Amino acid sequence: MSLFNTLVPSFTRETPSRASGAGPAVRPAYEIKETDEAYGLTVFLPGVAKEGLELTAESTELRIVGRRGWQQPAGWTAIYRESAPASFELVLAHDNAIDADKIVAELKDGVLRASLPKAAALKPRKIAVN
Amino acid sequence: MRLVRYTYPSYRSLATLPAGLARSPWSGLESEIDRLFESALGDFTTVPSTRFPVDLYEDKNNTYVRAELPGFNRDDINVEVVDGYLNLTAARKAPTVPATDSAQAEGQAAPALSLSRSIGIPEDVQADKVSAAYENGVLTVTLPKREEAKPKKVTVAVK
Repeated sequence: MSLFNTLVPSFTRETPSRASGAGPAVRPAYEIKETDEAYGLTVFLPGVAKEGLELTAESTELRIVGRRGWQQPAGWTAIYRESAPASFELVLAHDNAIDADKIVAELKDGVLRASLPKAAALKPRKIAVN
Repeated sequence: MRLVRYTYPSYRSLATLPAGLARSPWSGLESEIDRLFESALGDFTTVPSTRFPVDLYEDKNNTYVRAELPGFNRDDINVEVVDGYLNLTAARKAPTVPATDSAQAEGQAAPALSLSRSIGIPEDVQADKVSAAYENGVLTVTLPKREEAKPKKVTVAVK
């Protein structure tokens, strides 16, 4: 068995989306727009309150975890379901292109809007010619 | 004769690593398959933007409809009960005044959008007592059941 595990480690490893330990997670719908100064990120997180939202900026990764604040109360029976009770997780990889200190984020009515300013090195620079 | 498995030379195989630290020959393939599944299933799991997910719940007194409608104003959400159907309409107008606050300055103001959905509801609903609440982008409509539809408990004395 150990030989088998060495050859095919996927049977014992964790799936990447569950690695954060928050149980099953779905990827939310999101949009990214770009201007010269910044990236504008819109993530749709219905049912996520401010308390359940985690925004982590690392050097090459931006991780957004949203946990739904609402739980099905006892006594409620689900007749028909289309949404998943799972939390949201979105991991965006970038090439250290974002100035993590200047990220501005706002969560309103289940929509997270974040402004991710580009790192100074990436902004277009005008060079004066003598 | 010795059998040696051929590994495609990469920086990992060129560097001398102790056997325990060497990566499995599958790991590259693995991450490639993960990436493929993530992109294929990722598109599959996100709901198309014109259809919003709706859940139906029930308890003793009410039927509940929960609809995920992130990013709407309360005024732009319309809830109607017509002939045994619950019509949910949400509309967003294109912004006429450019947004000034910092998070919206990056040209990411929401575009105009109109969504609607009609859900068949049970017949025993008191249509005049329907109420709705909108919180964190989720609309909850409470549809009270008629008295006669509620489960009745009759205690019968046993002689």
